[in-house]
Amino acid sequence: MTTRRQILAMLGVGAGASALTLWPTLTRASTGSDTRLLVLMLRGGLDGLHAIPPYGDPGYAALRGPLALSPAGPTAAGAAALKLDAIFALHPSLAFTALLYARGECLPIVAAAPPYWGRSHFDAQDCVENGTASPDGAETGWLNRAVGALHVDGLSLTTVMPLMMRGPVKVNSWSPPLPMQVGPILLQRLEPLYGDDPRLARAFAEAIAQQGGDASVEEAMDGPAMGMGMGMGGKAKPHPPIGAQLPGLMRAAGEFFARADGPRIGFLEDYGWDTHANQAPILTRKLKELDDGFAAFHAASTPVWGRTVVIVVTEFGRTARINGTSGTDHGTGGGMFLVGGAVQGGRVAGEWSGMAPGRLYQNRDILATTDQRAVFKGVLARHLGLAEGVLATSVFPNSAKVAPGEGLVRTRVAA
Amino acid sequence: MDSDRSRAAASAVNRFGLGACPGDLARVTDPPAWLLAQVRQPPGGAPLIADLPTSLDYLRREGVVNRKRRELRLESGGAPTKAPGPDGKPVNPLAEIYRQEFGDDLRREAVARWRLAATTDTPFAERLVRFWSNHFAVSVDKGPARLYAAPFEREAIRPHWNGRFVDLLLAVETHPAMLRYLDQAQSVGPGSMLARRADRRLARRAHREDRPPRQLGLNENLAREIMELHTLGVDAHYSQRDVTEFARALTGWSMPYPGQLDRGDFDSGFLYRAAAHEPGTRTVMGRRYEDTGFDQARAILADLAVHPATARHLSLQLARHLVADDPPASLVDRMAAVYLRSGGDLPALYAELIHAPEAWDAKAIKFRTPQDYLVAAIRGGAIPIGDSPQPFEAWANRLGQPTFMPRSPAGFSDVAADWIGADAVWKRIQTALALAARVPRAGLDPQALARALLGPDLRGDTATAMARAEAPQQAIAIAFASPEFQWRA
Repeated sequence: MTTRRQILAMLGVGAGASALTLWPTLTRASTGSDTRLLVLMLRGGLDGLHAIPPYGDPGYAALRGPLALSPAGPTAAGAAALKLDAIFALHPSLAFTALLYARGECLPIVAAAPPYWGRSHFDAQDCVENGTASPDGAETGWLNRAVGALHVDGLSLTTVMPLMMRGPVKVNSWSPPLPMQVGPILLQRLEPLYGDDPRLARAFAEAIAQQGGDASVEEAMDGPAMGMGMGMGGKAKPHPPIGAQLPGLMRAAGEFFARADGPRIGFLEDYGWDTHANQAPILTRKLKELDDGFAAFHAASTPVWGRTVVIVVTEFGRTARINGTSGTDHGTGGGMFLVGGAVQGGRVAGEWSGMAPGRLYQNRDILATTDQRAVFKGVLARHLGLAEGVLATSVFPNSAKVAPGEGLVRTRVAA
Repeated sequence: MDSDRSRAAASAVNRFGLGACPGDLARVTDPPAWLLAQVRQPPGGAPLIADLPTSLDYLRREGVVNRKRRELRLESGGAPTKAPGPDGKPVNPLAEIYRQEFGDDLRREAVARWRLAATTDTPFAERLVRFWSNHFAVSVDKGPARLYAAPFEREAIRPHWNGRFVDLLLAVETHPAMLRYLDQAQSVGPGSMLARRADRRLARRAHREDRPPRQLGLNENLAREIMELHTLGVDAHYSQRDVTEFARALTGWSMPYPGQLDRGDFDSGFLYRAAAHEPGTRTVMGRRYEDTGFDQARAILADLAVHPATARHLSLQLARHLVADDPPASLVDRMAAVYLRSGGDLPALYAELIHAPEAWDAKAIKFRTPQDYLVAAIRGGAIPIGDSPQPFEAWANRLGQPTFMPRSPAGFSDVAADWIGADAVWKRIQTALALAARVPRAGLDPQALARALLGPDLRGDTATAMARAEAPQQAIAIAFASPEFQWRA
C-alpha cells in the first residue's frame, strides 16, 4: 500500500503545485471547529526594528542612523514606512501586510523572544523549536507534540523534518522545488572563499555577473563596507531571473490548507534573514518576499482563511544600534507576526520598554518582554482548543508560569 | 608526522575514494594499505544490486514488449491514438507499454546505484568500477542501448575491474550493451554466408519495389572505438586498414534474435554467429590472425590488451582520474612498465599508482565532476536515498552529467577545464542548498561535520563563514558550496 507520505515523497523535487491535487482523503474526521495553524520560521534572525520600525520612539532614529525608516517620507533606508500607530509602522515592502492590518487580520508583536537569550542562531532556533526553556531541553518539537495532542494531520513543507515538527507523531512532509534562489547573504559568505581559489575565482565572478540581473546580489555586495570590487557596477538589471522561494511555498501551503481534508497544522521556513551587512536593500527584498508570501497564501487559502492563523517567528531580534557594515548583529527582543482571518489584529501587541538609554537589554538589544511560548500557547489554546493543562506539561513542558497569550485570535473554540 | 597522515588520509578518502563519510578520515590510519585492501577483494555493497534483472532478462522482456508494440502499431494502422493518462496528459500507448514494463526497473537500477555509492565501505573500489564504466562508456541516449548500461556495469565491469585487463576487455566487448551501442550486433562480413544469401535474395527481388531486403554489411564502429578509446588510444600508430581488418574479424560477434531467445537456452546476451563472420586471415598492426571464427577477434583483443600503446593509454587515463589532469610523465611511464611486465594485471597497475610518491604530492588534485560532487555531498551529509532517484538524477542532469549519458563513446570528460564554468559553478551553489536541505538535522553539528569531511583541506575562512551561518542547514550549504569541497585534494 502506498501511504500519503510516499506519494508526497515520490513527487519530490520539482513536482511543484501538481502535488496538491494528490493530497488524499483523510480517514480521520476533523475535530473542533476545523481551525488551521501555519507556522513560518524565518531563520537567521529577522530584525524586528526594521520590519516594524518604532519610529515614534525617541531613541529610534539616533540608534538606527541610516537604517531608520519614517512614515513621514523616504529615508536612506527606503520609501516611507506604513504607519500603524503613534509609535510603530511597517516596512514599506509590507504593503499587503498593512492591508491585512487595516482589516484587523494582522497582529504585529514586538519585543518577543524565546526563553534562551544567548544570541547563537543554532541554540536559539533549537529553543524556539523544542518549546522548552533551553536549547537542549527536548529532542522533539512543540508543533509535533501539538499535532499529537490534537489528533490532527500535520504537514511540513520542507525536505527534511525540522526540529519543530520532529517527534513521535507522524507528520507528512512535502518537498519544495529545488531552491532556485541563492540568497545574497550566502553569496556574501562565499565570495571571499572563491576569491582565494585561483582556479574557481573567475568562474564565480562570471556567475555573479551573469546572474547580475539579480539586483539583490549587487545590493548585497556593492555596499561600502564590502569593498569586493567585483566589477558588477553599471550592468543592466532588468529583473531578478531567479524566483524567490517563499511566495511559492506559501502558495503551496495555502493550497494544501484550502482542501477540506487538508492538514490542520503546517510548518514552513525561510532563510536569509541574518543581515550583518548592507541590511537595508536586503530586507527591502526579503520583506517583499514575506509580503508576497502572505498575499500568495491568502489567495490560495481563501476557503479557510477565516479559520486560519499564521504565526511568523524568528530566533531573535537584532542589535538596536547598527554595526560598522550597515547591518545589525544578533540581539534579543524581536518581532513576530500573526496573520490570518482568525487573528484579532489591527493593533500592535507586546510590551515596549523602549530604546532610551538604560532601557536596552545589556545596553544593546531590545528587552524581550514576551516569551514566544505565550503566543504559541495562546493560539493553540484559543484557536485550536488545546487544553491549558496539556499545553503546560506536554506541549511546552514546565511552562505553567508562561500564561497563554489572550486576545490574539477571534475566539472560535468554546473552552 | 600526524599532519602528513591526515593529509594522506584525506587524499585517500576524498581523491581516491568517493568522498568522506563522517569518521572516515579518522578511521583510515594507513592510507595506502586501506586502498590496496580494496583492490584485493570483491567490492562491498553486492546485496544492493543482487536482485536486479540481468541483461538477458531485459533482452527477453524487450522482445515481448517489441512484439506488443508491433501488434499495436499494425492494429492502429501505424500510429496508435494517444489516450489521456492518469494526470490527463495524452500518453503514447507505444511508450506506455515500454514504461509499464521497464519503468520500475529503471527506477530501481538508478536508486541502487546511488545507494551503493552513498553507503559503500569500499569507496575506492567503487570509484574504479565507475572509472571503467566511463572508460567503456555506453550512453543511454541511444535507444537500443538504454536498458543495458546499468546491467553492463554489473555484469562486465564489476566482476573484472580488479583482474586482468584482457578479461575485462573481453567481457565488455561481448556484452549486449556494447554490441548494441557501437552497432556491432548487426555487422556482417560482406563475404559471409549470411551476406551472400542476402545478395541472392536481393537479386531475386530486384524487380519488387515494395520492400527491398535489408542490406547487410560491415560496421566498423566497435572496432574503431576499441582501438581508439578502449585500448591503444587515438595517438597510437594504427591505420584505417587496421580498423577495417579488425572489424572484419569481429563480424559474427552478435546477439540472439528475440525469437531465438524464446526458444534457445542462453546464459548471456552474446551469440557468435558463424554465418555472419567474414572468412579469411586478417592482418592487424602487422600481425596475422588465422580464421578461427570467434577466436580470431578474441586473439586480436588479447594482443591489443597488452600492447605498449594500451599500457600507456590506460596508465594515463587512470593517473589522470586519480592524480591530476596532467599527471607526471614519470608516473605514467612507471605504471605502463608495470602493466606490461605483469601482462596487464590491473591490481598491479593500481598498486604501482598507490605506492607512487607523485600520487601523494601536493600537486595531486582533481576537480570533482558533478556526479562526484553529488556523491560526496550525499555521503558526507548522510543524505538518505529514498525510493526515488528523482532528485539525484535531476541534479546530475542540471549539473551536466546525467547518469550513463555522456552522449559519446569517449565518456564524460575527466579534466577540470570542462567542468569549471560560470554556469556550472552557479548551479553547484544552487545544488548545495538543495543538498543541504536534505541533510538530516538530528544531532547535526555543521562545523564538526566539515572538519570530518574535509580534514586538513577545510580552510579557516570557510569555517568562519560556517560559524556565522544563520542556521545549520545554511552552514552545511556553505560547506558543500565551498571551493575546497569542489576539489579532490
